[in-house]
Amino acid sequence: MKELRIATTLEEALALIAEGYQPVAGGTDLVVAARGGNSELPDHVVAIDRLAELSEINSSTGGLQIGATVSHARLMSDESVVDGFTALADAAALVGSPATRNVGTIGGNVMNASPAMDTGSPLVVLDAEIVLRSARGERLVPVSDFWTGPGQTASEPDELCTAVAIPNLPSDSGSAYVRLEYRRAMEIAVVGAGAVVSLDPDGDGRVVGASLALTAVAPTVIAVHGIADALIGRLIDESALADVAALAGDQASPISDLRASNDYRRHTVGVMARRAVEAASRRATGESILVPVNRSIGIGAVT
Amino acid sequence: MTIAETPRFVRADGPDKVTGSGRYTADMQLAGMLAAKFKFAEVAHARIVRLDISAARQIPGVLAVLTDDDVPDVRYSAGLADRTLFARDVVRYEGEVVAAVAATTKEAAQAAVDAIVVEYEPLPIVDDLEAATADGAVLVHPEWESYSASPGIPRDGNVASHSSVVRGDVVRGLSEADIVVTSRYVADGSHAAPIEPRAVVAQWEGDKVTIWSSTQVPFAARDGVCHTLGLPTNRVRVIVPHMGGGFGGKCGFHYEAHVAALARAARRPVKLVFTRREEFIAPDRRRESMIVDLTTGVKSDGTIVARRGHALLDNGAYTADSSFFPQLAVMHLAGPYVIPNVEIGAELVYTNHQPSGSVRAPTAPQATWARESHTDEVAAALGMDPVEFRLLNAVETGTVGPSGQTYDEIGLTDCIRKAVAASETAGPLADNEAVGVAVGWWPSIPAPSGAYVKIDGDGAGQIVTGAQECGTGSVMTLRQLAADELGMDPEEFQIVHQDTAVAPYDTGATGSQTLFNNGRAVIAAAGQIAEQLRELAADRLEASSADIVLSDGAAHVAGSPDRNVSIAKLARTASYCELLIGHGSGPPPSAPEISGATCAGDAGMAAWVAPQFSCHAARIRIDRDTGVVRVIRVDAVHDSGTIINPTGALGQVEGGVVMGIGQAISEGTVYGTDGRQRNPALLEYKLQTAADAPEIHTQFVEIFTPDAGPRGAKGIAEAPNVPTAAAIANAVTKLIGRPVSHLPMTPERVWEATR
Ligand SMILES: Cc1cc2nc3c(=O)[nH]c(=O)nc-3n(C[C@H](O)[C@H](O)[C@H](O)COP(=O)(O)OP(=O)(O)OC[C@H]3O[C@@H](n4cnc5c(N)ncnc54)[C@H](O)[C@@H]3O)c2cc1C
Repeated sequence: MKELRIATTLEEALALIAEGYQPVAGGTDLVVAARGGNSELPDHVVAIDRLAELSEINSSTGGLQIGATVSHARLMSDESVVDGFTALADAAALVGSPATRNVGTIGGNVMNASPAMDTGSPLVVLDAEIVLRSARGERLVPVSDFWTGPGQTASEPDELCTAVAIPNLPSDSGSAYVRLEYRRAMEIAVVGAGAVVSLDPDGDGRVVGASLALTAVAPTVIAVHGIADALIGRLIDESALADVAALAGDQASPISDLRASNDYRRHTVGVMARRAVEAASRRATGESILVPVNRSIGIGAVT
Repeated sequence: MTIAETPRFVRADGPDKVTGSGRYTADMQLAGMLAAKFKFAEVAHARIVRLDISAARQIPGVLAVLTDDDVPDVRYSAGLADRTLFARDVVRYEGEVVAAVAATTKEAAQAAVDAIVVEYEPLPIVDDLEAATADGAVLVHPEWESYSASPGIPRDGNVASHSSVVRGDVVRGLSEADIVVTSRYVADGSHAAPIEPRAVVAQWEGDKVTIWSSTQVPFAARDGVCHTLGLPTNRVRVIVPHMGGGFGGKCGFHYEAHVAALARAARRPVKLVFTRREEFIAPDRRRESMIVDLTTGVKSDGTIVARRGHALLDNGAYTADSSFFPQLAVMHLAGPYVIPNVEIGAELVYTNHQPSGSVRAPTAPQATWARESHTDEVAAALGMDPVEFRLLNAVETGTVGPSGQTYDEIGLTDCIRKAVAASETAGPLADNEAVGVAVGWWPSIPAPSGAYVKIDGDGAGQIVTGAQECGTGSVMTLRQLAADELGMDPEEFQIVHQDTAVAPYDTGATGSQTLFNNGRAVIAAAGQIAEQLRELAADRLEASSADIVLSDGAAHVAGSPDRNVSIAKLARTASYCELLIGHGSGPPPSAPEISGATCAGDAGMAAWVAPQFSCHAARIRIDRDTGVVRVIRVDAVHDSGTIINPTGALGQVEGGVVMGIGQAISEGTVYGTDGRQRNPALLEYKLQTAADAPEIHTQFVEIFTPDAGPRGAKGIAEAPNVPTAAAIANAVTKLIGRPVSHLPMTPERVWEATR
């Protein structure tokens, strides 16, 4: 016999989770995987989608706190996300279909921990922290330590993700997320890349900070090492972008599967990386590139 | 009437479908109904050394477990009876049914399936078309000499059927050519992938069974049940509730007999609903993979003098309706061109893959993709514009085509000019854009078909037809034909259809044939009532029946609109004396004669009745860094004769184009070395989505075609699926400088070709 409880307070949810109930938010991973026969539906499930305190987006001076049950549809259109943390909006706008985006949540995406998750690279480059709560209390885990393998996270079984906290970017910064798409909806990331680029406000467009992360080319989303060293002090020109692509290709450890060979993934992750860096740097100059980048520049552009 | 003047006629089943009030087979509930589940082989080729169902029978709630031992010893399949309902001794593909279970719940049925013990001795897997036709190949059906087959099927080796067209002297033609171009193309198999996985419900009452099935061809389904279970046709009734698409995948006789046999054994109604995975691996209907070799010789002025061609088609493990595929493939490798010397052959090859069968325009998208890509290669070798090259060689009214058929009035060159002109209106091409052009052709299929029409005492009309609606809307269009014949409004007619016990025979939603043949039947049936109405009105209006005109819901005397009586009044009169009942069928159009071709394995497909022609111009954009191709716009121009229902015809073209895009760039079955499908799921088998659909601009070259369908109409449902992939391919080649010779042209394959 399966049991579904609908939590009405956070305390109730935490108590049930401590008893072994598994949280469900949108159910687009949990329920769909069970129906597809990939993993059985847990016997005890607690729905967290009605907890108002998990569905807020709060700006503070230091940054943004995004509640765990905020949907992708909201992420892609929320002004504070689109203005300050654009890569995350780029990613949310690519998730599945309108239906998937309306019910799928950022908390579910983070906790499901797929190497192909679209919000992963943006959260890495934006230096986010995952806010975890249990009956024992609250703690914050930097995303760089959070995903430990496919479907695996640093959270404890009794912990609920309540929010994602993202610090503000320095001025003259921009971010972007780009994904390889074989079609324009219902896609899964074959490869993707997120980037943050900060420019010298007084300089002539020289880079003062940069980060880059890659999607679906390793057991988890990965940060690219050495990207800041490679770019700081340079202009984002063809030679800088070629270096970005090479760095990304070198650090990727893609597999060959039905969706692509490792050769093709290694090549295209470089292409995505350079496009993400280019879009982020253009946004850093104040240029407005509509969300998602995939629909604004390159092959996916809507005409 | 031109297309602009024809009244827009919207299908009647739309509201039901979009509001969710429509009921599909899987929605059915009957008292005491059981759930069915199948035990599939799950291996591609093996001998069954042990099959033990005893544990499955013990599972609580299980009321029937059937295997080959429990059904009559009958082989079936049109043309070549190579199948049995349940695996016998050997399984030949992963989706073969080994056993079937009926139980009170789905879970119990699944538990019983899991409890069935099957031990296999593996057999070598036949999955390479060339190896399968080589000497000494492992045979998929070693003892097939004992199967019954149509004459002309040799039952030897792994070739399930073959066909060729030979005209003129190819060796001489090629030797006299100035330029000879040779190409090889390989197409992966693909799927119909309807949104509704199939479902079957069966219920016995005494010695009669009623079967509700999501089939495109209820009469063929009925006949399959009768044949395999040994029943006369009047004891099997097949009814089709709403259908969620078919695209050919639901043609043929599939699982109706399995479910009927389960219901009989369990003495309860039984329902089978496939999962998406089952829908991918099991039915004997998927688009065949193909290897194509083409050699064409041309004069330096651009005229084609000779073509040699050969295709290998993957039949899979059993023959569904595919025996005639080689002949269709041959016609598509030849193409709608004047070629004096041809020698083209095709072979349908047994493998341990899922059986192939009629998916929308069988053989055509792949073979046309190969031929039209080759056509652009030939034009490039000549240094000639590919459109000019096509116009120079295309068949025209009065010319003799590659199979020796002389064409009546046809509009192919018009289609080409109009498609190219329309695509040029879309503005200049960016440097990552190109337009590719391809032509296609497709036969109309004459077949017997019947309908009744009645008008009751209140003047309301009813059409009772054997025709089947699979989502194309063509059955709905029958109302328009009956109404026109009787001077009534289409809205005054209801349709009773897709019930084999109630209506006369029709082939079903297959071969673009519904309106083409059943339209004739409905017009004939309505014509009988029109005759009755004219007699009644003549009496009433004191005129000669020859002078009575039926229009606007009334009968009036020609030239005197004031002397009239409403059809409703006449209907009331008739309801007290001789009822208004019409029945119709009418003789199907006959096949034209052909001359000068010799045909081995002639399946009657070398002479095409009312052939349809088309030209698509596809504008694409390429991402050179990744190989991703997007189709921006397709200009589709079709000669399908008179267009009876423009709204419906546009829908067919748009759907066909989008399906064609899928086949071009994203849809393909990937097989593992174990002979099993690796992508039997919608995430990994990539259909195009609404978000991917390009702008589609459609035009019809309307030519009244004699010896065709009603009012000079040809078919329309399959033709739009024929040239799209080819047009896209030719655009890709323009951008990357060489053809991508493997279908689908996935981003990775395009990228590989650019390296
Ligand atoms: C058709 C389709 C298309 C998709 N396309 C994409 C895509 O393009 N990109 C992409 O990244 N993903 C995609 N997904 C996956 C999925 O939609 C996302 O991962 C989504 O964000 C999951 O959120 P959810 O609320 O539905 O998660 P759920 O299914 O509710 O939960 C997922 C997992 O996280 C756990 N969980 C959920 N919330 C919490 C919480 N607050 N604290 C602790 N654990 C929690 C659940 O127990 C479960 O294990 C797609 C899914 C579908 C069905």
